[in-house]
Amino acid sequence: MKARFLCAMALVLACFTAYAADPIKIGVYLPLTGDNAFGGQLELEGIQLAYKQHPEIIGRPVELVVVDNKSDKIEAANAVTRLVERDQVMGIIGTYGSSLAMAGGEVAERAGVPVIGTSCTNPLVTQGKKYYFRACFIDPYQGAGAATYAIKNRGYKKAALLIDVSNDYAVGLANFFRRSFQRLGGEIVATLNYQSRDQDFTAQLTEIISKDPDVVFMPAYFAQGSIIMKQARELGGTFVLMGGDAMDNPDTVKIAGKAAEGFLQTTFPYSINMPNMSPEAEAFTKAWRETYPHKDPNVNAALGFNCYLMFKDAIERAGVAEAEAVTTALAGIKDLATPLGTLNLNETHDAEMPVGITEIRDGKQVYLGEVVPE
Amino acid sequence: MTTKTRNFVLTLAALGLAYVGIFLIDTHLDAYKIRIINLIAINAILAVSLNFIYGFGGMFSLGHSGFMAIGAYTSALLVLSPAQKEMMWMLQDVAWPFSVLQTPFWVSLLAGGLAAAAFSLVIALPVLRLGGDYLGIATLGFAEIIRVLIVNWASITNGSLGIKGIPPHATLYVNYTCLFVTLYCIVRLLRSNFGNVIKAIRDDEIAAKVMGIDTFRYRVLAFCLGAFFAGIGGALQGNLITTIDPNMFTFLLTYNVLMIVVAGGLGSITGSIIGSVIITVMLEWLRIADSDFTLGGWTIPGVPGMRMVIFAVALLAIILYRREGIMGMHEFSWNWLFGRGRGDK
Repeated sequence: MKARFLCAMALVLACFTAYAADPIKIGVYLPLTGDNAFGGQLELEGIQLAYKQHPEIIGRPVELVVVDNKSDKIEAANAVTRLVERDQVMGIIGTYGSSLAMAGGEVAERAGVPVIGTSCTNPLVTQGKKYYFRACFIDPYQGAGAATYAIKNRGYKKAALLIDVSNDYAVGLANFFRRSFQRLGGEIVATLNYQSRDQDFTAQLTEIISKDPDVVFMPAYFAQGSIIMKQARELGGTFVLMGGDAMDNPDTVKIAGKAAEGFLQTTFPYSINMPNMSPEAEAFTKAWRETYPHKDPNVNAALGFNCYLMFKDAIERAGVAEAEAVTTALAGIKDLATPLGTLNLNETHDAEMPVGITEIRDGKQVYLGEVVPE
Repeated sequence: MTTKTRNFVLTLAALGLAYVGIFLIDTHLDAYKIRIINLIAINAILAVSLNFIYGFGGMFSLGHSGFMAIGAYTSALLVLSPAQKEMMWMLQDVAWPFSVLQTPFWVSLLAGGLAAAAFSLVIALPVLRLGGDYLGIATLGFAEIIRVLIVNWASITNGSLGIKGIPPHATLYVNYTCLFVTLYCIVRLLRSNFGNVIKAIRDDEIAAKVMGIDTFRYRVLAFCLGAFFAGIGGALQGNLITTIDPNMFTFLLTYNVLMIVVAGGLGSITGSIIGSVIITVMLEWLRIADSDFTLGGWTIPGVPGMRMVIFAVALLAIILYRREGIMGMHEFSWNWLFGRGRGDK
């Protein structure tokens, strides 16, 4: 009899707590399968790490609803609609890949649900949008950062571009690099194109070698970028290779081996090997090592982590977990301490942070410092 | 009342009922379900157009993604305002005439279909002299050429950056009206002499030639008509998801449509429609396989991508146990429903 009474009490209690602590639902849409799965997976793990550390916001438990967008635009739009309508989420985090974010963003904008993009760096993603924010900086800024570093810190005069024309990220970033490099007095001696999934770059590289540039800017994804490094060195190219944040992957060195030596790269200001790590970055790295002992964290992981922190900050300042209020609070994020430094959002909803520069030395990524784009 | 008038009245009644249904769906269901229902209509248009080329015309064409891309880009370029285009084209300036042109949605939709048909004529003239698998390879190449053109022709297409912010004109009413018009045109065509001729060519081209039919002309015509509706379908898809880029229009897109056609039944319009309903709904519904779920007290951890595995197994089962697809070559008709006459009339 006593046991039955206890059971009943427990049941009533359970009902009561369930009612009192109605969860805050945050949707996550990321490419967990398909071409961009490697990036999406790291970002998801970053988000989950932040969730593990802060499972409650303003006294209410948080529930993450994760959906895969298959690296596909139609699926991305479907995924966001599903999160908004079926799961009734308060806010959404995602996604890796700007074209996916544009498809999802249109849906969220119409529904009036705030979204924080992890690493969608194209300016078009938040252009004219009230509800789309991002935890990363944008391509014009990064391209200018790379050009500034190449000219001011290294004294390079002649640059060549090697661009994946079927990739929006590569085309955008290379375009902004070109503009800044020319504005700062440099000369672009060659622009060569290739297509995603190409494996042979010897024709383009031979042409580039004949023009004898100081630096070759190639904003590729890491898998192709590593192959380009190998082939460039095999052909006897002595120029410095430089890439963007999409090259930031532990596998770059594994694939390219010795050819990766001296590879310069702009990225978000975080690296496991960075000197003078901020306390936040240190805490993040430590927590990651405990949770995922077999995997190194990278900037994607940190960006995912940051998105969750941004929602946490906005909800706490808004005081309620309600879409409109949180959107207003998100737009006013100021001096938020994160693993990627102090985070501020500007009028176009992009995170403002310095551009980090890394170099591969002896098979290790070395963090050289930060550069402010001119 | 003759059978003919009865069928006419029944068709009208069904159409009216369909619009009442659309009205109810539009006012009562949430945007997520409406989105899936919209996708069903667009997939049905695409499947019916491919079925017209492949199932009825007997031409194994893998160029559908190319026609869709042409339709989608033409429509998007026409429907956007010059100011929007100027803001979005970051690589090069917008080329004339698109830099000044803006048309209403319906015009852009028709233009999308016509542009696809025009391109298909250009490809049909040399390529339709081929047959069988060779035609498949040539049209596959054509679709890839279109994609590469879009990537590189940045002054018109904005290259790989794609186009965003297309106004969401593809509502339930628009999509289903397009579907009904497509169905009406295709069914009427197939029941006319034209339909008999292309079916005859499909079944035995030499016999058809002996009967005095200009088989090449008929095949080109059927191919262009199919491409026209593929262009319309592509334009609608662009307007539904409101953003397009060249990477959307890869071979996988053609494969998706082909899958619907084969699963529904080659040479059956009814089958294509049933196929698009089942496959579109199943792709979304199977998302439950991606997340954790409990089965008789056991919790099975979710694996991203699991639904694609289940989906592939289901397709394998269809191909192994029902090779002719869900409907075979049968059609739904009022006569069949009332048990008079044969079903495939």
